[in-house]
Amino acid sequence: MHELNDEARRALIQLLLAVADDKLMLGHRNADWTGLAPILEEDIAFSSMAQDELAHASALYQCVADLTNSQADRLAFGRKPEEYRCAQIVELSDDFNWATALCRSFFCDNFEALRLERLARSSYTPIAQLAGRLLAEEQVHVQHVDSWMHRLGRGDDDANQRMQEALNGLAPLAPMLFEPTEGQEVLEKEGIYPQSEPAMFERWSQDLLKVAHDAGLILDLPRPSAKIIGGRRGVHGAAFATALEEMTEVYRVEPEAAW
Amino acid sequence: MVSHETVLEALRTVNDPEMPINIVDLGIVDAVRVEPGTDGSGSRVVVEILPTFVGCPALPRIEDDVRKRLGAIFGITEVDVHFRFDPPWTVDRISTAGRESLRKFGVTVPQRRDSSEPETETLQCPFCGSSQVQLESSFGPTRCRMIYHCESCRNPFEHLKRIPVPVLFG
Repeated sequence: MHELNDEARRALIQLLLAVADDKLMLGHRNADWTGLAPILEEDIAFSSMAQDELAHASALYQCVADLTNSQADRLAFGRKPEEYRCAQIVELSDDFNWATALCRSFFCDNFEALRLERLARSSYTPIAQLAGRLLAEEQVHVQHVDSWMHRLGRGDDDANQRMQEALNGLAPLAPMLFEPTEGQEVLEKEGIYPQSEPAMFERWSQDLLKVAHDAGLILDLPRPSAKIIGGRRGVHGAAFATALEEMTEVYRVEPEAAW
Repeated sequence: MVSHETVLEALRTVNDPEMPINIVDLGIVDAVRVEPGTDGSGSRVVVEILPTFVGCPALPRIEDDVRKRLGAIFGITEVDVHFRFDPPWTVDRISTAGRESLRKFGVTVPQRRDSSEPETETLQCPFCGSSQVQLESSFGPTRCRMIYHCESCRNPFEHLKRIPVPVLFG
C-alpha cells in the first residue's frame, strides 16, 4: 500500500472533505424532496439518492477521521462554515423548483462519478476500495438523472422551457466543481488522485453536452476560471451559513445524540 | 475453542431485518475467524460483513444481532464485527435457498451470471410466473430493491438490484 507523507496526507484530507461535503450538502438538499416530489416514484428515487449521498459522506468522513484522529460526526457537523470544502452549486436552495433540483443533480452526479472513477484507481488502497463501491452506486444516479433530462427536455414546451431555464441558471456556477483543493497537484503527481486523458473537465463537458443535445436542450459551459476562489478554499455563498445552521441544529444542542 | 461450524450455524439464525433471509444465505458474511480470546480462556470471533449498499440502514441492527447471537454461545468471550466493501457484495452471492425464500416473499433475484456477459434474462413474476412484467420504479422500499408490475396478475413485486461493477479508465 502507498504510504502517505505529511504533505500528501494534508492534501488527501482536503480532497476527501471536498467529496464528503459535496455529498452531505447534496444529500441534504435532495432530502428536501421527500414527500414533495412531483410523482411518487421520484419521491422514492430522490429520497433513495439522498440516503446514498449521506451514507457516502459518512463513509468518507470516517476516512478523514481515521487520518486525523478525529470523529466523523464532528467533521460532518462541527466545523465552521469556512472549514467546509463543498462547491457553491450544492449549497444553493432549489426553492422547490423541480427542474433546478434535476439540473443540479445532472451537473453534480456526472462530476462525482468522474471524480470517484479517478479515486477508485488511487495508489492509496483504502480510498480506492471505498471509491470503487461508491462509484457503482453513483453511476445509478447518473443514469437516473440523465434519463430525466431527456424525458423533460423532450417533453412539452413548458417542460423544455423550465429545464432550459434551470440549466441556464446553474451552468455558470457548475464548472466551479472543478476548483482544485489545496495540494491537489501533489495527489495527482503521486497517483493518489490519478488523472487521465481527456482531462476531467473535457470528459465532463462532453458527457453533459451529449445528454443535453439529445434532450433538445442548449448548454453553454464556461471553462473553470483559476482566478475565482470558491467553496474548495472555504469561500461560500450566502445560502451556505443558513443551510449549515439548519443541518447542525441537533448536533449543536446535543453533540452525543444518536438515532 | 468454539468451532467455525457452530459460529456459522448461529449466524444462520440472524435475519436481514428487512427481508426473510438470513445473513449467510444473503451472502453478506464474507469471513468468519475463530481465535483464542485475549483473556486466555474463551474464543474471540471476528465476522467480516459486506454491506449490500453503503447506505443500508440495517447495518447497526445486523451488527447488534450478530453480537447478541454469538455472545450467547458458551465459550465465546469476544465478538468483533467488521464492515468492508472489498470485495463488493453482489446478488450472485445469494444462495439457492435464499433465492427461494425471497421469491416466496415476492422478491425476485437476478440469475447468477458471469459479469462479462450482457444481461439477457427475462424476469418472471414471483406470483404467477408470467414474463409480462414492467419496471415501475428503479428505486424501491429499500436501497437494494426496485419495483415491477406484473401485467398478467396485476400484482406489484420487487426485484433485487444488480449494481454493475464499474469499468475504470486505462
